[in-house]
Amino acid sequence: MEAKTSGLSRLGSAVSGFFAVIARFFSEFGTAMAKGDLFVKLSLLWWGAGYFRRRQYVKAILMTLLEIAVIVFTLNFAMAYVPKFGTLGTVQAEQVFNMQTMQTEWNDYDNSFMILLFSLFSFVIWFAAAVVCMRNVVNVYELQMQAQRGKHINTFVEDLREYLDKKFHITLLSLPVLGIVVFTLIPMLLLILVAFTNYDQQHMPPTNLFGWVGFSNFVTLFGGGITTTFGYAFVRILGWTIIWSFFATLTTYIGGILMSLLLNSKLTRGTKIWRTMLVVTIAVPQFVSLLLMRNFFANSGIVNTICANIGLTGFLRDIGLISTSYIPFMTAPGWVHVMIILINIWIGIPYQMLIATGVLMNLPTDQIESAKIDGANPFQVFKSITMPYMLQVTGPALITDFVKNFNNFNVIYLLTQNVFVTTNQFMANSQAKETDLLVTWLFTLTQDYYNYKMASVIGIMVFIVCAVFTLVGFNFMISGDKEGTYQ
Amino acid sequence: MKKLIALLLAAVMVLSLAACGGSGKTAETQAPAADANAPAAPAASGGPISLTLWGAEEDQALLAELVEKFKAQYPDQTFDIQIGVESESTAKDTVLTDVEAAADVFAFANDQLNDLVAAGALLALDGDIAQVLPAYAGKTIDDVKAANGEGSVAAASKDGKLYAFPMGGGNNYFLYYDSTKITAEQAQSWDGLLAAAEAAGSKVGMTYASGWYNASFFLGAGFITDMNPDGTTVMDWNGTSADGFTGMDVVKGMAAIAAHPGFLAIADGDISNQIASKAVCAVVSGTWDAGAAETAFGEGYAATKLPTFTCADKQVQMSCYSGFKLMGVNAYSKNSGWAVLLAEFLTNEASQTARFASRQLAPTNLKAAADEAVTSNVAIAASAAQDVYGSVQNVGGKFWDPTATFGQMIANGDLKADDDAAIQTALDTLVEGVTAPVE
Repeated sequence: MEAKTSGLSRLGSAVSGFFAVIARFFSEFGTAMAKGDLFVKLSLLWWGAGYFRRRQYVKAILMTLLEIAVIVFTLNFAMAYVPKFGTLGTVQAEQVFNMQTMQTEWNDYDNSFMILLFSLFSFVIWFAAAVVCMRNVVNVYELQMQAQRGKHINTFVEDLREYLDKKFHITLLSLPVLGIVVFTLIPMLLLILVAFTNYDQQHMPPTNLFGWVGFSNFVTLFGGGITTTFGYAFVRILGWTIIWSFFATLTTYIGGILMSLLLNSKLTRGTKIWRTMLVVTIAVPQFVSLLLMRNFFANSGIVNTICANIGLTGFLRDIGLISTSYIPFMTAPGWVHVMIILINIWIGIPYQMLIATGVLMNLPTDQIESAKIDGANPFQVFKSITMPYMLQVTGPALITDFVKNFNNFNVIYLLTQNVFVTTNQFMANSQAKETDLLVTWLFTLTQDYYNYKMASVIGIMVFIVCAVFTLVGFNFMISGDKEGTYQ
Repeated sequence: MKKLIALLLAAVMVLSLAACGGSGKTAETQAPAADANAPAAPAASGGPISLTLWGAEEDQALLAELVEKFKAQYPDQTFDIQIGVESESTAKDTVLTDVEAAADVFAFANDQLNDLVAAGALLALDGDIAQVLPAYAGKTIDDVKAANGEGSVAAASKDGKLYAFPMGGGNNYFLYYDSTKITAEQAQSWDGLLAAAEAAGSKVGMTYASGWYNASFFLGAGFITDMNPDGTTVMDWNGTSADGFTGMDVVKGMAAIAAHPGFLAIADGDISNQIASKAVCAVVSGTWDAGAAETAFGEGYAATKLPTFTCADKQVQMSCYSGFKLMGVNAYSKNSGWAVLLAEFLTNEASQTARFASRQLAPTNLKAAADEAVTSNVAIAASAAQDVYGSVQNVGGKFWDPTATFGQMIANGDLKADDDAAIQTALDTLVEGVTAPVE
């Protein structure tokens, strides 16, 4: 309980710290605007003005060029899309065939998706420009203060040199952060926006337009409005996703640690051979091993043949566990859920075993030895020294594993696609099946049915669930005071 | 520290702006290119006409050959025709990902026609564009329609407009059987088949868990599937058919077959394996399994139309969805006139004959189909015999999962023949799911 409150309070302080940065940014800007001289104030309109006044001509020219670039971008590019952002386009595509040129001629039609994408892009640019502009005023005001105090004002070369020295972190980090903005932030914002539109099979650009529909997709998801069984399927799929992630993470984690303890034990012979055999499952690509597994456990697969021959199938039928002439490993709900988790143990343990082996090698042997001298048995050593140490070191990896399993597309899709057919009509009416994770359902909805809007809604839900687990989990696991518990 | 973060942010913004300045320029250069797509700017006559063509992997060599012949037919015009590989069964997915970037001419299976038309990806061929055929190819669009089988033209049309050229047929299913175990007489009905299979210690296989296959029972009993203009599916399987059968009669007939010890329900996509493993002595499949069946059944290899099944104490002939391979023209094709000519050329009588020779695709062209080599092919003959009872598949995306589940329930024996209420509820739920609005 105490750990929870401290975790939450840390989360709280992170949030408040974030807002403090924003508040500070605006207060600095306010001060600069209020107390700055004419050129500082003019910098709001002409970005180079302040630098010009302080004779930083290169910077003045660069900022002016940047400002011109933003204006050109706005006039030539953004204005073609942003004004249509409210409707996402109104002009339907129309065509006429021209016999002379043997070509189809089109009107100047709107493409809703392009309008959405490029408007968003323009917003990001404008946001950045606004921040640069305001930050620029603050910088120029600082220059003014330096000048008033009679301090040395950097030349352009000196400024540049700072990026290799005092501001080296900026030089290092700008490229990765730019990558995150372009490849993660913009697509993510786009996905969020699509959740509020009717972008689906009936509204596919460029031929058809799509538009804003507000929260109606979210209403659909939670069972309101439409007659289909979306809400019914969503709740069940979310439940199985969480159960799966929990067991898939826990079983491979514990199994991996036990396996590496077994291999590290002085009593085990031929350690290297055993370890190599386990690691082979990593070397074989998952889609090969999983498809083989799928065939082994098929209704007419090799495992069923063996089970029938040794009489297991008959026994299970006699005690009423199955009603078919085969064991429905991959074709009946319940059976398939257990099988998926078991098969995942088989392919997941080697990874965890390798990680655990690495950690166990660094286990403080002096503690274990002194514990043994004090008369602790192996289980007590495992419980009070090995496990706490393991948890402390691999805790963050455990959280990542949970989130990874939450979105574990490969295992579920490869094992159940075209094999498991649901007999629950309500699930089928929502294009779902009992074994689907949110992410595989998402795939079916987008890939097979072009239902981009509902896929976005589910995507947002997956994001929220994963974010909550990660935030809470990390705050639990990575707390400084945990270190004391095993020492 | 916070100041550092603020500085960092600012620096990043500057950098991203610099990067975006660049993209602003590329957008500018893109703009005129997009304009060239639309009005004005007639292609400089004599300049090469560039076209992209997507066809199946197994069609590649033939397409290359045919494209050369096409070029030779118009010596006054230079062409730059690129041929790409795109499976006929997945063409829709690739085309709809970005219609404007997709190939000018592409081959696809007719079940994708509805989605492609709904997305506006296919050029309607009997509009103004039809003028190019008499002007350059010496035939009219009506000649093309008349030259191909009625079913194939219907499969390539929607709302009375032709959207693609029929390229091949035989994309339906029928019965392969081992004539050393089953007589031709027995192969006429499920009762005969199942009894013979049981006597021979083997099985009759069919895929129940797929709407494509299990619809054959319902269609045979006079039920229908159709599609509304808004993309939703029409289905009447929970009512009474034009032939006077109820959905419940059909389900009971299917359940009786599924419960027979001589029956093997095969998972969708697993049919070839089951044939190869010799688990069956008769199986419902299509021309694509001809090789596997011939190998497995050896001397006894035979094929015929689908059998009849017992429905409300009567023998009812099973129907099927008739499938066709079509060649369509992208609605966003720049050189649409030449694209139409190319598509027509690749599906004319000579091309279809060549395609049958290279990959055994049954011709839809009536003259090509009448050829001795075609009619003597066991699988294609059976496919043609079944096609008489077939109907064009006209369903929306919501058809598949509910029908697959329904078939699986019958195959599993979840629906008991004496529990009328449960069967009717299941039928109602099925129809509700299939006909649900496209949200």
